[in-house]
Amino acid sequence: MTVSRRTAIGLGIGAAGAVLVGGTVVRQRRLDREPPSPPVTDADGRVLWRNWSGIASSYPAARAAPESEAALAELMRSTPTPIRPVGAGHSFTALVPTPGTLLSLDGLHGLVGHDPDTHQATLWAGTRLGDLGPALVAVGQEMLSLPDINKQSVGGAIGTATHGTGTGYQAIHATVKDFRLVTARGEILECSPERNPEVFAAARVGLGAFGVITQVTLQNRALTRVHKRVYVQSLEQTAADWPALSKAHDKVEFFAFPFSGLAAIVATDPTDAALQPRGPDQDTDTLLNLKRLRDLLGPLPGVRRRITHALMAGLPPEESVDDSWKLLSNERPVRFNEMEFHLPRESQMVALREVMEVIERGHDDVFFPLEVRSIAPDDAWLSPFYGRDSGSLAIHAYYKDDYQRLFTEIEPILRRHGGRPHWGKLHSLKARDLAALYPRWGEAMDVRRSLDPDGRLLNRYLRELLVDG
Amino acid sequence: MSLDTPLRMLLGCALLGAFASCGGPPPPSPAELAARAAALSPREPHLADLYAHSCRACHAEPRANAPLTGDRGAWKARLAKGMPALLQSVLTGVNGMPAGGQCFTCTPRDYEALIGFMADEDGR
Repeated sequence: MTVSRRTAIGLGIGAAGAVLVGGTVVRQRRLDREPPSPPVTDADGRVLWRNWSGIASSYPAARAAPESEAALAELMRSTPTPIRPVGAGHSFTALVPTPGTLLSLDGLHGLVGHDPDTHQATLWAGTRLGDLGPALVAVGQEMLSLPDINKQSVGGAIGTATHGTGTGYQAIHATVKDFRLVTARGEILECSPERNPEVFAAARVGLGAFGVITQVTLQNRALTRVHKRVYVQSLEQTAADWPALSKAHDKVEFFAFPFSGLAAIVATDPTDAALQPRGPDQDTDTLLNLKRLRDLLGPLPGVRRRITHALMAGLPPEESVDDSWKLLSNERPVRFNEMEFHLPRESQMVALREVMEVIERGHDDVFFPLEVRSIAPDDAWLSPFYGRDSGSLAIHAYYKDDYQRLFTEIEPILRRHGGRPHWGKLHSLKARDLAALYPRWGEAMDVRRSLDPDGRLLNRYLRELLVDG
Repeated sequence: MSLDTPLRMLLGCALLGAFASCGGPPPPSPAELAARAAALSPREPHLADLYAHSCRACHAEPRANAPLTGDRGAWKARLAKGMPALLQSVLTGVNGMPAGGQCFTCTPRDYEALIGFMADEDGR
């Protein structure tokens, strides 16, 4: 039997199509496997605790949520150790896992008082940032800056140096005017630049390793209406324009999309314009479409780039006008793991180009954008922004994907450029590495030892991070 | 409205038969579901506290893509798996749902009660 050239080509295309479809189905099934979970209870019947992304876990012997500072102080003296405070569980690093006591501050939440003249407000550290917005509105205030999400507790956000963006805006802990700290021995300390100043300097970004912050006074501002604009343009142009963009806008950041050559700029500026509330969420749909393109075209980066570029480049800008606390934070319902380093600002774009090259050369499973922000310097001894203008780079991996290979390859780039890691996001640095990055490290550790000489607040991870790693 | 539209509605009702909701109340709109979710809270104070600090952040926020509190349609398929399977998913986390719903002091019994409340099982 003879086969015509036309038939042969048709059969070939059919076979190739079948292989492509079959390969895609197999690939998608592999990519969509739920990561294995630890058992719900351990051999002693203790219930599982896991962080938001699922990679940190433990079986605490005790769980506590004291409803007064006095109850917390009493608890600190007697509960099983290590005692580890937990906020919203959004840290990716193993700050929280403990076989001892998991300590939630959910029982200590809400506004304690406010000063209308200075726009300062005192609040319990268990208050979630998302609940703080409406609570501050009631007294005519809002926080100066907010992170990308607002699920965190105030205590957790301060303790890990959580931040927003804007060249003139510091991280949240730098807006703390004073705080109250319950130590591992159950003492209650009032801390400010005037009272216990060394504890104020060392424990503001304290990882819950100096004691438990129960109350803070934040420097806020009057409610401010802002115009938020999100628009897509070339990544190269964005990187070139970044210094000018940072000067031109009150707050600005951008998301760099691998395998597209594009960036989405998010600029927020004060305005008197008429109210235009934000519409339905589009970020999640965009992200899931990027995942679909990854699933389908991952092994074909050239095709993936052309199609992604064609689909995204024409997206119309998103515009909204509202109080800033309603527009600065977002919902991020697709779980991920994250690495973020804070670099000297002059190194930020160079590092971004190097990181993007590594991703596009060898990590075709990545579909999350990189987040690029600016943070003003402060003077907290363990602040990653201590003494320098910083530019941050955050790299995300879908929670079902292999983040370790990606982050292992990227971390040396960020360290080479002088980066300090975000305390709550993944990195491999230990005490000896960190001591070289923080000018006041030794003094901070002296303060920690004096407050918790027996290490009742240290889990295994923190011992390596702060003591002997 | 042209004649064509009611004719098609009538045919649609006949064809869909028992599966259609023709003649019944229309399903609630997304805005109605969001407003309902925002207004609901468990009656029992202990559960109300747990709900306010954890579940509500996602289950009363449409942008979080979680089944909204009080949206019986969204919860029906989940409840059909049975409470033990649902509880297992809650405790370990699955898809967008983080382990334990980030409620760190909830007991398994609390979770069952909170699921029942959010699914509006008893019409609260």
